[in-house]
Amino acid sequence: MLEVLAQAVINGLLIGGVYALVSIGVTLIFGVVKIVNFAQGEFVMIGMYISFFLASSLGVDPVLSLLISMPTLFAIGVLLQHFLIRRVLALGDMPQIFLTFALSLLLMNVALLLFTANYRTVQTAYSEMSFHIGPLYFAVAKLIAFVIAMLLSAILYIFLHGTDLGKAMRAAAQNREVAMLMGINPDRVFSVAVGVALALAGAAGSLLMPFYPAYPLVGQVFVLMAFVAVVLGTLGNITGALIASLMMGVAESLGVQFVGADSGLIVVFVMLLLTLALRPNGLFGGWAR
Amino acid sequence: MKKSKRELGAKRLGAKRLGRRDFLVKSGALAAGAVAAFNIRTAAAADTVNIGGLYPVTGSFAQIGQGCVNAAKLAVQMVNDAGGIKSLGGAKLNLIVSDVQSDPTVTRTETDRLISGYKPAAIHGAFASALTLIASEVAERAKVPLLTGSSSDQLNKDRHFTFTPFSRASQFALAQLQMSKLVSDQPKVAVIFENTAFGTSTSNGLREQAPAQGVEIVLFEPYSAGLSDASPLMNKVKASGANMLFPVSYLNDLILIIRAIKQVDLKIAINGGSGGFVIPDFYRNVGNTAEGLLGVAHWNHDINDNAQRVNAAYQKQFGEFLFEYAGGLVAQTFMIADALERAASTEPQKVRDALAALDVSEGYAAMCPGGKVKFGPDGKNIYAHPVGVQWQHGDLATVFPKEDARAQLIKA
Repeated sequence: MLEVLAQAVINGLLIGGVYALVSIGVTLIFGVVKIVNFAQGEFVMIGMYISFFLASSLGVDPVLSLLISMPTLFAIGVLLQHFLIRRVLALGDMPQIFLTFALSLLLMNVALLLFTANYRTVQTAYSEMSFHIGPLYFAVAKLIAFVIAMLLSAILYIFLHGTDLGKAMRAAAQNREVAMLMGINPDRVFSVAVGVALALAGAAGSLLMPFYPAYPLVGQVFVLMAFVAVVLGTLGNITGALIASLMMGVAESLGVQFVGADSGLIVVFVMLLLTLALRPNGLFGGWAR
Repeated sequence: MKKSKRELGAKRLGAKRLGRRDFLVKSGALAAGAVAAFNIRTAAAADTVNIGGLYPVTGSFAQIGQGCVNAAKLAVQMVNDAGGIKSLGGAKLNLIVSDVQSDPTVTRTETDRLISGYKPAAIHGAFASALTLIASEVAERAKVPLLTGSSSDQLNKDRHFTFTPFSRASQFALAQLQMSKLVSDQPKVAVIFENTAFGTSTSNGLREQAPAQGVEIVLFEPYSAGLSDASPLMNKVKASGANMLFPVSYLNDLILIIRAIKQVDLKIAINGGSGGFVIPDFYRNVGNTAEGLLGVAHWNHDINDNAQRVNAAYQKQFGEFLFEYAGGLVAQTFMIADALERAASTEPQKVRDALAALDVSEGYAAMCPGGKVKFGPDGKNIYAHPVGVQWQHGDLATVFPKEDARAQLIKA
């Protein structure tokens, strides 16, 4: 029984790492730019396709291909901020919601058109491998994804707390007007924030590719969990999103194990409801609010 | 009236161009004759019979839906190339495809739109049982016959315009249980199924019939379709001590499940049933890991010569073998053609009556396991049964039951 429990926790943590990459991106954009990016899952999808095509045509290992998917998505993020998001920032909530929601629909349908609805998988040497410690096993592909996800989160944390640009981003998140008065250029800061958020989605895509099939609607699988994690971990709080994602991965896994495989998400949503009822600002009332 | 006007037109045209009286008379008569003949021929050619195809071409079932549409077009082309519907003056079938988008609400409106907009003589569709149940409700109300390969037993309850030429979910279950004894004398089965109409009806069939077949079910677990991670589920299967796994799932979940089984290092025989398990995409995605896995299907491309012939044509055009659902709907198209032929009418009610009286044992309409089609009062083909299949060398070979087997079962 104990090993079943331990295994469930391991499984949950490993997939939680992937949820974290998606949710940190969402929370970063919300924290800094104050806009909810409903299209975040679609950028994961784009990351997956980048890795898929690099793997299938050039034989690049999907994990290595994040060196390409991340910069590509960073660039897309900067362009997205500059040409689209910037224009709706002054217009209030509705146009912002419509913009990213429409972008999500657009990207899904363009992907359907370009790539068809077929599932694409990459077979790597480690796709189906796992290593065992006693009775427990760790799926290699998921472990790699988890470790790199944690590394990227740590790098982001250091960037936000240790560099001028990072500090400027946090300042802009705390109070846009005051930050501008202090000479921070919000356009630049916002572009970097959106770029970084999309780069994380791209990384998530590349890291998923060895064990998850890519298809045009794949983003929807992960974005729901990401949004719950963002709310649970307090909107705009990056550490909160990270911890909440891991918690949700574990809650889902335990839910599947001990409640029922069709109710794994029930545990997650009960957690969300309780949190909203008891701590409406999320578990980690952090710097963004 | 129409003809005489055209004659006049032809004469006037001739007069202007040539201006010679005798020539005018001859050419005018000739032209009129040509116009008249042409009229008759176009009238015949323009006489087409609309039949509807409801398939999810976008959304989560899209890659299967697209295969269905390809097969439906091929089938219509085959009927038309063979001379169309002779009792209707060689009328050609005209396939109207409607995208039901893997969405129940869209399915309802699209079925409605298809029926009211195109007045089809009959409809086939819609792959997923959850969608077909809705399409069938709409078709029943509009009194338009619907043929479907969907397996939900509910499609045979209180319906008069719905016909199911292939085996039902309960029959799939029986075949799957019987096959488990090919693998082990004491099968201990874990059933994991997506909580959809397809998943629950298939798995309930398994649970109800297991005791009579001497099969013990040690885990019976619904899950929500669209897994993000299958390892928690496989953890549960491992803990159950099962030696045989029945996943009732579509493709994306299956890929995750099969991979997770490898990762858990679970030594377990797998019978994936039908759905996403018996399509070329499954092998493309899972690769060698698929070798030796078992499944059941209401149709397979090796069941008889006609099936192999259609499969060859499909393979040539689309580069992959003709899968269960798509192959079945080729047969359905020929059943509709057969009914139209006998009804000599495109009136849905008459086509329905002709379908109800269908009794074929040869040709493409009978291209089913068992080779015969005759509908009972509940719309079930009384001869239908599923076949057991196994992935062998990247192809799907029929291995069960004995009388249908086209290849030896490979034991792991």
